[in-house]
Amino acid sequence: MARATHTVLWKLLNVRVLYTVAFVLRIVLVGFGVYQDKTMVVKYTDIDYHVFTDASRFVTKGESPYKRSTYRYTPLVAWMLSPNLYLTPHFGKLLFVTCDVVCGALLHCLLTLRGSSSEAACYFSALWLLNPLPIGVSTRGNAEAVLSLLVLSTLLCLELKRPLIAAFLYGLSIHMKIYPVTYGLAIALSIASQGPSGGRWMFQRLFNKDLLQFAFVSGTVFFGLTLAFYFMYGWDFLHETYLYHLTRRDIRHNFSPYFYMLYLMAESEWSIVLGLVAFLPQAALLFLTSLAFHTDLPLCCFLNTAIFVSFNKVCTSQYFLWYLCLLPLVLPRLSLTVKRGVALLLLWFTGQGLWLAPAYYLEFEGRNTFLYIWFAGLLFLIINSIVMVQIVSHYIPVTVQQKKTE
Amino acid sequence: MFERVCVLLATFPMFVSGSVSCGLASTWLESVVLSINIVKEGFHRELVFEIRHDHAPCDVQVLLVQGLPSGVYIDQYQLASLREDTGLQVLLDSAVDVEDPAYASSGFSAMVYLSSPGLLQAVVPFHGRYHRPSTSGGWEQVPISSPRLLLRPEHCKTVTPTPPHKVVEAPCTVHNESLCSWLEIEGLQVLGFVSLEFPVGDFTLAAPVCAGTALVTMLCCAFLLRTIWKHGTF
Repeated sequence: MARATHTVLWKLLNVRVLYTVAFVLRIVLVGFGVYQDKTMVVKYTDIDYHVFTDASRFVTKGESPYKRSTYRYTPLVAWMLSPNLYLTPHFGKLLFVTCDVVCGALLHCLLTLRGSSSEAACYFSALWLLNPLPIGVSTRGNAEAVLSLLVLSTLLCLELKRPLIAAFLYGLSIHMKIYPVTYGLAIALSIASQGPSGGRWMFQRLFNKDLLQFAFVSGTVFFGLTLAFYFMYGWDFLHETYLYHLTRRDIRHNFSPYFYMLYLMAESEWSIVLGLVAFLPQAALLFLTSLAFHTDLPLCCFLNTAIFVSFNKVCTSQYFLWYLCLLPLVLPRLSLTVKRGVALLLLWFTGQGLWLAPAYYLEFEGRNTFLYIWFAGLLFLIINSIVMVQIVSHYIPVTVQQKKTE
Repeated sequence: MFERVCVLLATFPMFVSGSVSCGLASTWLESVVLSINIVKEGFHRELVFEIRHDHAPCDVQVLLVQGLPSGVYIDQYQLASLREDTGLQVLLDSAVDVEDPAYASSGFSAMVYLSSPGLLQAVVPFHGRYHRPSTSGGWEQVPISSPRLLLRPEHCKTVTPTPPHKVVEAPCTVHNESLCSWLEIEGLQVLGFVSLEFPVGDFTLAAPVCAGTALVTMLCCAFLLRTIWKHGTF
C-alpha cells in the first residue's frame, strides 16, 4: 500500500503529469464554480471578480473603471478582462488560472537555476501547483496570480542576467500593487554587488551603470503608466489605485496586530502618530533584511514580503499569497527537519484558527469578541515572527553549499 | 375592466375627463397589516416584510419606504444580483458607501416594490457598519423606524385621495424612470418592533491596548532584528 502510494507520488513528480493535473484541477473547479453560482445561495465566485467585470464594462464603453465602487486596481486589469464581455464571462478566471500554472513553471525554472535537481524542482513547485490556497484564489476570480507571475518573472530575469526585461517587469509589478517596492533596495544592492567592487563602500557601489539602467527602465515604466492613466482617468485613478492603499487605516477587523488599536484611536489626534509608530518596525526590518540577504534575492524578497504583511496596519488573507509564491524557492535550502517544518506549519494554522473563531462570532453571531480578536492578532504576529526566525536561522546560504561541494 | 371595479368601490365621485383616476376603498385600506421582522445575527442581517390584507378588488402595486439610519447599509451590487436571482425589487434613494464607519455616513431610504397578486413579502439583506467605540458597555443601539406603506392600483399612474391617507409622489417602479402618485397609509398597523444592537470596541481599554500592541510589536521586531543581524551576510 505504502509502495503504491510512493509510486503514484513519484509519477506525479513527472513534469508533464504535474502540470496537466494542476491545470485540469483548476479548470474543473472553475466549472464547479459556475455550477455553484447558478444553483446555490452561497456563491463560489469572489466579489472581486464581479468588481473586475463591472469595471471592464465601463472601460469597454469608454468610461472610467473607477465608476465601479470598490474597484481599487490598475485600469490594466479592467482592460485585460474586457473579453469577459465579448467572449465569455469566465475568461478572467481562465486567464488567472493560466497565470497560476505559469507561476509553477517559473518556480520550476528558478529552482533548477538555483541548483535543485529536476525531481526536487517538481516537488517544490508542486507545493504551489497543488496547493489549495492559490487554486482556490485563482478559480474564484482573484487577480493575485498575475502579480505573482510578474514578481517571479522579475526574479527569473535577474537570475538569467537579463536586467532590462527584469526592470520592465518590476516597474509593471509596482504599478499593479505597491508592495514590490519593498524589494527595491534588495534588488539595487544585488545588482550593485555584481558590479565592480574595487574597495568601494556598499552605498558607493549603488552608482553603477547597470543599476542606473535598471532604475531608469523600471522608473519609466511605472511613471509612464501612472502619468498615462492619470491623464485618462484623473484623480480617481491615483486615489483608488495607490493613495487608498497607502493611507488605508481600515478599522474593520483583520489579521493585523494593530487592528484594535487603530479602531479605538480612529478619531483621536494620536491616530497619525500611532500610524507612524506602526510603520517604524516594518521600515527597520525591511531595511536590515535588504542589507543582510540581498545576495540571495528570492530569500530576501520572501522575508521582505512576510515582514511587510505581518507588520502591516491591514492584513487580509489575500496578502498571504504574496509570500507563498516565493516559499518554494526558500524551502530547498532550509535545514529544518520535516517534523519541525510540519510543526511550524501547524503552529501557523493554529494562529489563523485562533483569529478566525472570534472573528466569526463577531461578524456572524454579533458577539463582542474584540478583545479576543486583539489577542489573536498579537499571537499571530508572534507566531509569524517565530516562523521567520526559524527560517532565517536554518537557511543554508549558497556560499556554504558551494564550499561543501568543493 | 379592473379599473372600473376599483372606481365603483370608491366612496368618492370620480371625474371622467379624458383620464380615469383610480381609488382604493377605505374599508379595504383599514384591513392592511404590515409585519416586520429582523432575522440572522451579527453584522449581516435581513429585514423581512410581510403585508396581509383582505381580498383586494384589483391588483395593487405596493411600495414600502424603509428609512435606514447611518448605522447600517445595503449593498447595491448585492441588490442587483438578488434582482436577477429572486426578483427582489429594491431601489435606494442615494449612493451608499459600503465601507465607511457609521460616524462618517448618513441615513438613506430603501424602496421595496411588491405587487399583488403574488406574495406581498420581501426579504431585504442589510449590513451593520462599524460604530464609534463606546465608554460604557460594548454595544451600540441602532433603532429602525417603521416603514411607510404606499399603494397604487395596478395600471394607474395617479390615485384618488382617500382621507385620512395622503397622496405622495414616488418613483413608479424600481427602474426609477418616472414618478407616480401613491396613496400613503396613515395609522398603519405595524406588527413587530425593530431595534438592533451591534458590538463595539471598548474605549476605556484604549491605553492598555495601545501599550500592549506597541510592546508586542517592538519585541517581535527586536527578536527578528537580532536573528537577521546574526545570520545575515553584510
